[in-house]
Amino acid sequence: MSRLRFEQVAKTFHGGIEAVAPFDLAIDSGELIAFLGPSGCGKTTLMRMAGGLETLSGGQVLLDGEKLGGPDRRRGMVFQSYSSFPWLTVGENVAYGTRYRRDLDTQQKREQRDRYLELVGLTEFADAWPAALSGGMRQRVAIARTLAAGSQVLLMDEPFGALDAQRREALQLELLALQRQEPRTIVFVTHDVEEAAFLADRVIVFTRRPARVLAEVDVNARLGRERTLDTRDSPAFFALRNELLAFVRATAEEHAS
Amino acid sequence: MRANASAGYKVGVGAASVALLFLAWELSSRSGLTSARFLPPPSAVAAAWWQMVTEQSLLFHAGVSTLRVWAAFLLAAGMAIPIGILMGSVRVIGAALEPIVDFVRYLPVPALVPLSIIWFGVGEETKIFLLWLGTFFQLVLLVSDDVRRVPFEYHEAAATLGSPSWRRLTDVSLPAMLPTLVDNLRISLGWCWTYLIIAEIVAADSGLGFVIWRARRFLKTPEVMAGVVTIGIIGLATDQLVRAAHRRRFRYLAP
Repeated sequence: MSRLRFEQVAKTFHGGIEAVAPFDLAIDSGELIAFLGPSGCGKTTLMRMAGGLETLSGGQVLLDGEKLGGPDRRRGMVFQSYSSFPWLTVGENVAYGTRYRRDLDTQQKREQRDRYLELVGLTEFADAWPAALSGGMRQRVAIARTLAAGSQVLLMDEPFGALDAQRREALQLELLALQRQEPRTIVFVTHDVEEAAFLADRVIVFTRRPARVLAEVDVNARLGRERTLDTRDSPAFFALRNELLAFVRATAEEHAS
Repeated sequence: MRANASAGYKVGVGAASVALLFLAWELSSRSGLTSARFLPPPSAVAAAWWQMVTEQSLLFHAGVSTLRVWAAFLLAAGMAIPIGILMGSVRVIGAALEPIVDFVRYLPVPALVPLSIIWFGVGEETKIFLLWLGTFFQLVLLVSDDVRRVPFEYHEAAATLGSPSWRRLTDVSLPAMLPTLVDNLRISLGWCWTYLIIAEIVAADSGLGFVIWRARRFLKTPEVMAGVVTIGIIGLATDQLVRAAHRRRFRYLAP
């Protein structure tokens, strides 16, 4: 059975602006799906509906067959900005992820905090304030915090969008490493074609608003599941990137004509 | 280290500019460029200040004024913080109270002095009421704005980490707004002093406003100025203390 399932999910904002046309998608456990599309196309809205942060105008989102409502711990969010709490230290931020876990006692919560700090390589920064960290490290705090909350689904809204190219690549590699160690079901929203191709098992390309599926690309079939920096230099990667780029350009032209 | 050096530099420049101002003032008064009767030199003001401390219980009056300011300030803040938070986080409460608050906010406090005396007489209640009136309605709007300005992403992140909505106030709103709240409290404490002097001039037999007004009646300009300077010193000291505490408590903003 698929883990996260979109069934005829649609969104129309007040005033009748249609943001998302009825959308269907089944995501398997441990799969990383990239939502690729032009800015403002509605892909973020779609992801936010999965997170319970936006109401649905139609359809439903199911987690393990159960219909989802408002936000809870099962679906963790990582935002592009304001992702960690500046008034808490790095360690306290990650610990906050465990605060509302009833399945853990105090000792286990502490272990979870330490474990995920370690996993994102921030153990020695546990007592630092987020403002003292680079943007990339702050995003790692946010990811560790969400993982510590025991989220089954990670919803990432252009999480590396504000980073420079090198930091973004480093974070992408770390996310892939995390997926190898503890696979999570991830929806990753981006408008960066290479990022989508490099990270995702499947890429969903959206049209301009209202978001409709323009194409669905099985990246594993093209690049395999294992991704390394070498993947980025392979002919298959270039071919895939160009193909995705062509889709994205098509949406732009469709809008212009 | 660099931050310390630049802080020292700032203090140095500030002290030098104040010293220069005093020097120019002293010289202009002594040389007869300005009338000492209307603008006594700093030395005369200092002498008057010392005489007032030793013979006219200036410190007692300063203490009385400070107590009034803090009593009214704590009352205003104690009401404005919870009400402002409610106005900022519950839309219907904000919509209901904002027109009233806005109306009262624009009433000049001095215009309400006669009414206040009719209601409360000339005792402490009138002073506290006037100060409260001048600060509460300003502060309540600032607090509600502070709550509204908390980035919604913080609330959303907390919600997806399992924080129930009733915990969001202490988990997110309060810690996120606290630095600006403390700044706003510091500023409104300054307003309290403004209104206090008005209240003490009109209806008081103690306090710095009373001292200044009494000195004016006998045209003791050095004493008037000594009273004014006392207020300035108290204000400056309080402000710097709160600022220092702010930097210490909120050092996470600029670690």
